[in-house]
Amino acid sequence: MDRAIDTWKLVSLSPLPLWALVLLGVATVGGVVLAVLSVRKELSARRRWTLWMLRVFAGVTAMFFLLEPGLRKLQVARIKSRVAVLVDRSASMGFPVESKGQTRSSQAADVLDALAPEMEALRDRYAFEIYGFDPELSPVSTGTLRTQPARGGRTDLLAALRAAATGQGGSTARKLSGVLVLSDGADNAELATGLSPRTKAAIEELGVPISTFAMGKSGLKDLAIETVKVDEFAFVRNSITAEVEVRGRGFKGQSTKVVLRREGTTVATRDIRFESDDDVQTVTFTFTPDQTGRFVYTLAVPVFPEEAVADNNTRSFALKVIRDRVRVLLVAGRPSWDERFLRGLLRQDPNVELISFYILRNQADVTGATNDERELSLIPFPMREIFLEKLDTFDVVIFQNFGYSEPGLSISSYENGLANYVKNGGALLLIGGDRSFTEAPGRFGMLADALPVEAALPADVQPFKARLTPEGQRHPVTALGGASQSSESAWASLPAIPGMNLTRARSGATVLLEHPFATVDGRAAPLLALWDYGRGRTLTLTTDGSWYWAFPAHAGGAPSRYYERFWSNALRWLVRDPDLTTLQVVADPPSVEPGKPVAVVITARLPDYQPAADAQVKVDLISADDGRVVGTKSGTTNSDGVVRIEFPPPAPGPYRLVGRASKGEKSLGEGQDAVAVRAVGTELADAHVGTELLQELARASGGKAFAQSVPPLSEVPLLEPPLVEVGRAKDQPIWDRWYWLVAMVCIIGLEWALRRRFGYI
Amino acid sequence: MLLTRRHLLTAASTLAVSRAFAFGDASLFVPAIAQHGGKWDARINALRRLSWELQRRTSIEVSLEVRPLPLASPKLFDHPFIYFGGEGDFPPLRGEEIENLRRYLTYGGFVFADANDGSDAAGFDAAFRREIARVLPQNPLAPVSLAHVVYKSFFLLDASPGRLLKKPQLEACSLGKRGAVLYSQNDVLGALSRDEGGGYEFEVMPGGEAQREIATRLMVNAVMYAMCLDYKDDAVHLPAIMKRRR
Repeated sequence: MDRAIDTWKLVSLSPLPLWALVLLGVATVGGVVLAVLSVRKELSARRRWTLWMLRVFAGVTAMFFLLEPGLRKLQVARIKSRVAVLVDRSASMGFPVESKGQTRSSQAADVLDALAPEMEALRDRYAFEIYGFDPELSPVSTGTLRTQPARGGRTDLLAALRAAATGQGGSTARKLSGVLVLSDGADNAELATGLSPRTKAAIEELGVPISTFAMGKSGLKDLAIETVKVDEFAFVRNSITAEVEVRGRGFKGQSTKVVLRREGTTVATRDIRFESDDDVQTVTFTFTPDQTGRFVYTLAVPVFPEEAVADNNTRSFALKVIRDRVRVLLVAGRPSWDERFLRGLLRQDPNVELISFYILRNQADVTGATNDERELSLIPFPMREIFLEKLDTFDVVIFQNFGYSEPGLSISSYENGLANYVKNGGALLLIGGDRSFTEAPGRFGMLADALPVEAALPADVQPFKARLTPEGQRHPVTALGGASQSSESAWASLPAIPGMNLTRARSGATVLLEHPFATVDGRAAPLLALWDYGRGRTLTLTTDGSWYWAFPAHAGGAPSRYYERFWSNALRWLVRDPDLTTLQVVADPPSVEPGKPVAVVITARLPDYQPAADAQVKVDLISADDGRVVGTKSGTTNSDGVVRIEFPPPAPGPYRLVGRASKGEKSLGEGQDAVAVRAVGTELADAHVGTELLQELARASGGKAFAQSVPPLSEVPLLEPPLVEVGRAKDQPIWDRWYWLVAMVCIIGLEWALRRRFGYI
Repeated sequence: MLLTRRHLLTAASTLAVSRAFAFGDASLFVPAIAQHGGKWDARINALRRLSWELQRRTSIEVSLEVRPLPLASPKLFDHPFIYFGGEGDFPPLRGEEIENLRRYLTYGGFVFADANDGSDAAGFDAAFRREIARVLPQNPLAPVSLAHVVYKSFFLLDASPGRLLKKPQLEACSLGKRGAVLYSQNDVLGALSRDEGGGYEFEVMPGGEAQREIATRLMVNAVMYAMCLDYKDDAVHLPAIMKRRR
């Protein structure tokens, strides 16, 4: 507090309440007005004005005595107020002021050192409180600014100003007289796009001048992937667009390339050219994911040697690719009841888009038409279009009793493509019949390698009931049971089917259903077999009698949905429906800020799809760029079959999480997911200095904006510290002097005399 | 024994289907015929002829053996296509026949009904309408438009005559989008029926042999529809069909 000083002020010492004083005042004024009106017809202006002035003076003196004026003598002193000095501690303050120069934080420390002597000189009046904000306020020193890097994840100037105004982190008892802000102005919160009317009102409401000191210099050379706009998920085989904004500072007239990669593989490249020294170019990448799952895509521009920041030249994002509808191609060698019921099932499934081609006529058939074009609805089978051009657009290809029955329908030239289609992730389902396997005149060549069975013997046409193998009892494809019935009894309840092709299971194939009696090479002939082939899957059902599970099964009167369930399971297995896997691996979250841990949630199920409690889980974190295992962690699932595992923060880049689970000796399968570790957070994405924002802040609050030079503190607007009373006030009346009374009497007396003289009394 | 043309054709057909027979009946189109209380078997040989036409003209593999089936028999479900024909009235179906036939149609079966007597509001027509209304009370017979897929399932047709041309349109009971019952009052199979000597049994009126060919094609289409459903309504076929229809 300053030394006390004497001062005085004029006060009213009347004991009357305010309302009474007002009433008497009004009455006095009324009396003056009435008197003035009563002489308004006086012909002599001099007389009129004399009477008016006397009445007015009388009124004034009456009010003087009513109010009882006095002098109040008191002692006051100035209380020290506070000035908040806010230093930005967000990560962008780690950028250099100039290329290869000191950091912005260090520059802020220099400014504080330069201001320190003046702050000291003003310490009687102001308490300078120095805080860092990131965005929470905490006391900071110049030593800290120089030695400890700024790490704050974002810059929120408005929040910091509000906190300073309410005295967070410091002394709330003192009034705030001003704020000094030392920052690069790279706000990425409410003020990211400048001051809006709302935020401007908020600044004005603080009621203190805010002066800003811009840290850093414009003109840094920097190339940055500024924003990436892309949906979080895409549909497989549907194109998706990513819109990328690339900012170039100091690259006027220069061209560069923007590259989009998916886990190390280049997807597309675009050329851009900057037209000015601070230019933003937008490029669009349209690409078509060909697999379901989650993948990390990375956008990158080259790093130039003179760039201020290299970390913002790449940006990764995770994209989940899902299936909209399962697109099924069904090729039937001829019309049959098996084809009819499968078609009926697929057509009524809203999750299936069915494209079908049936061979309705053989070469030798005589239709009786004289003009095929006009009389038949048949179209040529578009083999080239289906098996060459459009094959990759299908999720599942079904050959139903389709083989080498017709010379004109040979697919030998397309077999390699079909095998590659499966190897690259497609799915093939082969259904038997009288034109398949050993019954077909010809044999598959290269495509045969993709099948889990090979033709063996002529068909067995005796009716039989399909028998579940031990693998079939656990496999999701043959899971027909529900709460009240096991799969085994469900299969046993289905009617016999009238014969099957006899084949031999290949090594590595899984047989789920078999003939109970017929054997091939001493082993039960497989009816339903499947396997993974490359990245794809194939399934064979060596009969054209599965329709017996659909239609004749209803003869007894008790409807079941086993036929529908079986084919639904088969399709979902073929397209790798996640619900049919016993192990789910999900990155949580799929995109991680730099320096944050990578977490993954594993959900394990037993083969009967119940939660696998106490299962042992092992997860590898693998760099998607070079396949290197970066870390391995283990865990045990809880009673829900779930476990969450965290890896320490890895370096930025795309990663795959590959998880395996087992319960005792039994493997529960493997799953994987992708996670993107960003190279830069929002703070480090852009190296610009927000000089305009700092100027706006200063203007809106009545402060000043400074850049590059350190002004004298006297130029910085600050509110005066408040005055407070000290000691006891002493009142001295001035109304009770005799001369005031004499004056009033004389005035009233003179007026009365003149009124009488002029004839008004 | 006089070797008639029929015998020769039967033998030839048997040879043609022997490969398919090796895989069992279940793979074949079997001409099944519904047995009811009236004259149900007026067109047995025409059904056999239909199988022969299917074998000759299309890739469908057939059995030439006509299979009569009682309507209450669970064996109905082994044959997703049933011919229901008759001459004259027939007694009301029993409860279990109604129930069985209803379940048969609901779960995917198909019935082609044919008034062999060409009746209208009498005889077979009256009886069939009465009984089918009991089987599918919620799905009455309704005219089939020329845009229906049955008119393009194999041959492109714009008429549905039989031995007669009493009614220009077929009628159908539809379950959802599927025509479960197709009915003709024109005795379609009558146009295919042959006598012992191998000649056609009936004159076809009024269109003669041209009409007979169309009737044959209609039956081929009906079987193709039963086996392929709305295949020819798939988008991939529409442009070609529209072009040919012009």
